[in-house]
Amino acid sequence: MLKIKHLRKNYGNFSLDCSLEIAPGCVTGLIGQNGAGKSTTFKAILGLISIDDGTASIFGKNIQEFSAKDKQDLGIVLSDSGFSGYLTVNDIIPILDNLYENFDKAFFMEQLQKFQLPFKKKIKEFSTGMKAKLKVIIAVSHNAKLLILDEPTSGLDVIARDELLEILRDFMEKDEERSILVSSHISSDLETLCDDIYMIHNGKIIMHEDTDVLLSDYGLLKIDTEQYKNLDKQYILCYKKESYGYSCLTNQKQYYMENYPGIAVEKGNIDEVITMMARGTQCIN
Amino acid sequence: MKGLLIKDFKLLKNQKNFFIILIAIATGMSAYMEDVSFIIGYLTFICSLFTLSSISYDEFDNGYAFLFSLPITRKGYVLEKYSFGLIIGIISWLFATTIAIITGLMKDSIILKDILIIALLELLVLVILLSVMLPFQLKFGGEKGRIAIICAVGIVFVIAFVVVKIAGFFNIDLIKIFNNLPVIRMDMLIAIITVITILLLLLSLKTSVYIINKKEF
Repeated sequence: MLKIKHLRKNYGNFSLDCSLEIAPGCVTGLIGQNGAGKSTTFKAILGLISIDDGTASIFGKNIQEFSAKDKQDLGIVLSDSGFSGYLTVNDIIPILDNLYENFDKAFFMEQLQKFQLPFKKKIKEFSTGMKAKLKVIIAVSHNAKLLILDEPTSGLDVIARDELLEILRDFMEKDEERSILVSSHISSDLETLCDDIYMIHNGKIIMHEDTDVLLSDYGLLKIDTEQYKNLDKQYILCYKKESYGYSCLTNQKQYYMENYPGIAVEKGNIDEVITMMARGTQCIN
Repeated sequence: MKGLLIKDFKLLKNQKNFFIILIAIATGMSAYMEDVSFIIGYLTFICSLFTLSSISYDEFDNGYAFLFSLPITRKGYVLEKYSFGLIIGIISWLFATTIAIITGLMKDSIILKDILIIALLELLVLVILLSVMLPFQLKFGGEKGRIAIICAVGIVFVIAFVVVKIAGFFNIDLIKIFNNLPVIRMDMLIAIITVITILLLLLSLKTSVYIINKKEF
């Protein structure tokens, strides 16, 4: 669906070097801190910024050759951009109808009613949640093959977030070939939605793992200095000095649970993994 | 392109009060002014400014990023802006010309042919204005674009001033030169200006496409 290889972009003190791939039928998450390079990656994929090096292709076609017609198959949500706030939903309907060949007006209206979005109010007067829902509904209303969603859930409360994820699940259920690339810094969104997760830090992809593996095999060891010294560090990805000794991130938590019964092993979750990968010291095995 | 045009007209709707006032002023002026042709230039010019404000709307709140992720090309966007400018320009021009002709006939103050020639020239002026302003607006954006246009006009004046000064220094009488230029017929002159205007429009389009292709959002 989407493949990028050593996509590079330099901005003064920030440089991006990103490779990732999205398979058909998959929801792939991109996580990272603010400023890690998520939005830059998205903008480069969409051709909004020029790239210094590397390649990116969508549906097997290089993005530099991507035409207006090819973009018909993409559904886009950008975190900091959307239709002008001076337009109303009623204004947007004929615009989308004329831009997208496959715009499903009936579906669009139905979704708007379902989420109680007003038709006559200017978008700038919408609440954060309403704006976010509108963006996602726009992205899923023209039978796209690939959704590219940059922080679709940012600033939302739990209920609004669940509703939004529901729209995305419905989208995936309708066609097995559809894919989504979604970025977020809220891990629970990704844990429940994504099939695999890429983690980006300082412009580089530092981890790629299936969500299931991440949740079942990753773990956090909390050990004192003595235990740390004697520890087999074969499966330790990184460690961090703590007041009580060390915390270590492993991708083989079973191994340590079996071989070091005395050690406290915490179940991995995405938040822990992000923090450790970003702040901890990498182990070279 | 049609989708973008609809968007711009929907945005234009936000300024409908301004439009009503504008038309009221224009109609009022044409009733009291001797020179009815004035309103053609006035209305056409003011309305062409709406194209610039439509660019400001697009640019506001980082809107460009989303616009260019829609199924349009950058070139298509530029073409749409010029089309939009020409469409509202021509509509307001037609409207203003009609008012001018009606009031002119009612007052019996002007010869129809004169109004038509002036109207035609105003139409060319509209195209020239759009050709000059749009690349500036696309390059520098809403706020800076206006300043850039003012600076550009200022520079043109400075150049003209310097030329006149230099001519004065060498004792060349520019007015005499202009007066001695070979006299050409009015229709010929209009034809020449039309061709120049169209060339300018094409050059401007090409420049704008180049500018927008270079932009990063």
